[in-house]
Amino acid sequence: MMQDYVVFVGVNIVLAWSVYVILLAGSLSFANGGFMAIGAYVSGVLSVKFGVPLVLAAPIAGLAAGAVGVVVGFPALRTRGIYLMLVTVGVAVSVKAVIESIDYVGGIQGFGGMVGTSPWHVAALVVMVGGGLWALSKSPLQRILDAVREDELAAASLGINTVYVKLVCFAVGAFLAAVAGSFYAHYLIHVTPDQFGIVLSVFIVLYAVLGGTNNMWGPPIGAAIMTLTPELVRGLESWRPTAFGLIILGLLLIRPDGLLAFRSVTAKSKGGVAKSQSDGAKAA
Amino acid sequence: MLIEQVINGVVLGSMYALIAQGYTLVFGVLDKLNFAHGEIFMLGGFICVASIALGASLPIAILITAIVAGLLGLMVELVGFRKFKSADAHITAALSSFAIGLVIVDLAQKVWGAESVAVTLPGTLQSATISIFGLRIVVLRLAILVISLLLMLVLYFVVAKTGLGRRIRAVAESPAKAALFGINVTRVNQQVFFIASAMAGLAGLALAVRTGYASTDVGFTFGLKALAIMAIGGMGDLRGALIGGLLVGVLEALAFQWGFGQLADVFVWLFMIAILLVRPSGLFGTLVSKEVRA
Repeated sequence: MMQDYVVFVGVNIVLAWSVYVILLAGSLSFANGGFMAIGAYVSGVLSVKFGVPLVLAAPIAGLAAGAVGVVVGFPALRTRGIYLMLVTVGVAVSVKAVIESIDYVGGIQGFGGMVGTSPWHVAALVVMVGGGLWALSKSPLQRILDAVREDELAAASLGINTVYVKLVCFAVGAFLAAVAGSFYAHYLIHVTPDQFGIVLSVFIVLYAVLGGTNNMWGPPIGAAIMTLTPELVRGLESWRPTAFGLIILGLLLIRPDGLLAFRSVTAKSKGGVAKSQSDGAKAA
Repeated sequence: MLIEQVINGVVLGSMYALIAQGYTLVFGVLDKLNFAHGEIFMLGGFICVASIALGASLPIAILITAIVAGLLGLMVELVGFRKFKSADAHITAALSSFAIGLVIVDLAQKVWGAESVAVTLPGTLQSATISIFGLRIVVLRLAILVISLLLMLVLYFVVAKTGLGRRIRAVAESPAKAALFGINVTRVNQQVFFIASAMAGLAGLALAVRTGYASTDVGFTFGLKALAIMAIGGMGDLRGALIGGLLVGVLEALAFQWGFGQLADVFVWLFMIAILLVRPSGLFGTLVSKEVRA
């Protein structure tokens, strides 16, 4: 039981970070559930049908998903804002439908036989990704990402190739989601395409947003709370989805910026602008 | 056979268009996606079931569905959107409306069960056919098509010609400036949500009556597709939603006819991605005005 919690919380933390990495450059991705599916299936096929060890299969699957991310991301990132969001929804839906129609990996029945994830694997993964993100937040790269996120036009005028930056973030996010998916699949032993529907993608975004997306510690907190909360409301049994939905709503209404929203410099000025706008609307 | 499929596609497409109109109306005014919209559509079928079970005739049931769905729309606006007005909040608003959708689906399953519920109309309304130019067409489908097109026409007229429409367009342009001219922005938002949700409810009723079943999982499948259709047509544009809906309906019917089966569902998304690559703001959208507003 304890093992379950460690693995699921760990996998969800990495997934939340995979959305966070993409958000760093200002794009929102609902495709990460799809990338996770690619990771689960590619690594599963590698380890079950070709005997590749998990620690090798996971990064290969990650690279495959990263490649898919580049292919769909390059045209998609040229569209903006909500259009990009919808393209990623399309990617998630398409990945699931395509996997369902491939008989080699079992179609709707799903694919099984993957074993080998221990909680230590997941813990190591969380530490590695967290360490990488921490190093990133201390590096000049973070400032480039901040610039692209806050004002794309201004960043471009400073000579930053914004499409390239966003594409790299998208690919890294896809990579992380796929690696998390690999470990997830090798823990569950059997996966079905149904598990990787669009709802999963929305939940991954929820992990990040509920935790707070203006620093790297928000997404893991959101992921941990969201993974454990359904267990807490288990006593309500049949009312779980309703209770869960209401909890999400309550959190969003009470802390719209996420549970762990530090008042960083950018957040402050951003909040100030947004506030003055809405105040203007109200006062006028 | 092919013509029949095309007609089926057009009828299906008109329902897609009805839902997409609601999305696009809300998006045009608030700049936010309403993920609970598909679930209001789903509830439309069940409200119809409930009101017929209570002894209402079909016209009364239609009226009740429109009103109840509209009121639910007001609830969605109050809980999911009222607090998230700023331009930065579009992710939060999308997620909060998604959470409302979760609750609606779960409650609907509590009341009506996870299985689909049969909808039976009195008389032969569901099976009567007429033949036009040698084609046998179910009268009901024709009626759905005509009524949806009429509804959309009325909506277009309201938005383009009436005082309410002028207020809606003013708020869509800029809430702050509209407020300066004495428009009650919150009231306009409520009106938009009422209209959009009432139309979604009617679309849900039409689907339930046409297929003979009301089911709790149509909200998600249809709702997402309508979202893609809105993007195809260009967000915030009513004509775009109509034409996108009809196009996708026909395309899906043809894809099904040609034996793509399961993959037919992916078509709408590939179509959307293809359109967005050529026209990054959809068929009718204008990127410029959006950029200025953002």
